[in-house]
Amino acid sequence: MKSFAEWLSTTFLSVFIQNHNSWAIPTIQSIHIVGIAIVLGSVFMIDLRLLGLAGMDQTLRQTSNRFGPWLMGALWLMLATGILMVIGEPVRELITFSFWLKMLLVAVGTLIAVIFQRAVRKHEEVVETRRAVKYFAVLTFLIWACIIVLGRLIAYDHVWGSWSPAARS
Amino acid sequence: MDIAALLSWLEATSLAARIRDSLFLFPLLESFHVIGLALVFGTIAVIDLRLLGAASTDRPFKRMASDILKWTWAAFVLTALTGSLMFLTNAGVYYHNFYFRSKMALLVLAAVNMLSFELTLGRTAHRWDKAAAAPPAGRAVAILSLAIWISAIFAGRLIGFTTSRAKQTAPAPADSSLEELFQK
Repeated sequence: MKSFAEWLSTTFLSVFIQNHNSWAIPTIQSIHIVGIAIVLGSVFMIDLRLLGLAGMDQTLRQTSNRFGPWLMGALWLMLATGILMVIGEPVRELITFSFWLKMLLVAVGTLIAVIFQRAVRKHEEVVETRRAVKYFAVLTFLIWACIIVLGRLIAYDHVWGSWSPAARS
Repeated sequence: MDIAALLSWLEATSLAARIRDSLFLFPLLESFHVIGLALVFGTIAVIDLRLLGAASTDRPFKRMASDILKWTWAAFVLTALTGSLMFLTNAGVYYHNFYFRSKMALLVLAAVNMLSFELTLGRTAHRWDKAAAAPPAGRAVAILSLAIWISAIFAGRLIGFTTSRAKQTAPAPADSSLEELFQK
């Protein structure tokens, strides 16, 4: 992984981002934050509906149809800006514990979002009447909140002590 | 008391020192700041898109606003609180930073924009409540709101790139890593 990261940092796009890092990196990161705001906002609106705390004038299917596409669209935006951040600063991103734990949670969170939207389309009543759906709502929100914390911790990977590959090398 | 004295007094508080000397507190404050601002922007965007007639057009505006804006305010409190605590650790540096000042100006603009809406169209909302989009002035407010909040996010990220972190005053922090924390 270390040699891959070092190779990646010599590629054309990476060198371009490094040479324009005064504006390129902050701009990409800001777009990434706007993306997570749309993701967390959408997850939040769906979860509030599941908990019965907002949007009760809408059916679950209407709520999922309203916010699901924005959630998935913003995830694509985050993937694109995320890849640019990895290309721009490969060692800073890839040689960390926080990044890989974050990727694991992103995979879990995205999979849950896809399965949930499919389930609401096909079996709306079943999803709505399950009592476990309230725990599910809290859990999904916590997953995305943890993803945000881990994203920030990439810059502070030393907090993990010897779990951080950056600290070992 | 002049502003320089106030800023150095803020930095000298034991709370500021506690945050500076901890390995985790500042990164965690940043993280909760992002969670807070994500919810502020995410929920405001839902309302702005409704005003523009771009989404949720079948929902009455007033119902949506009373449904959602209380969560926006709760998230704003979280964001302001974590932001203030971060400011405390290095008040003098942030106060003179261009992007910090721009961000504060943007927050004032957002407040003026919101008030101008509440005092005019907000009061007559019952007339256009069920229309697919707000009247032109309402749509202008929505565009401005989206632009201001996105700019605030950019300015906020740039603060981190244009300021040096406050130095730790304690030589070895008690909480030296998460790994050790879990082993205890």
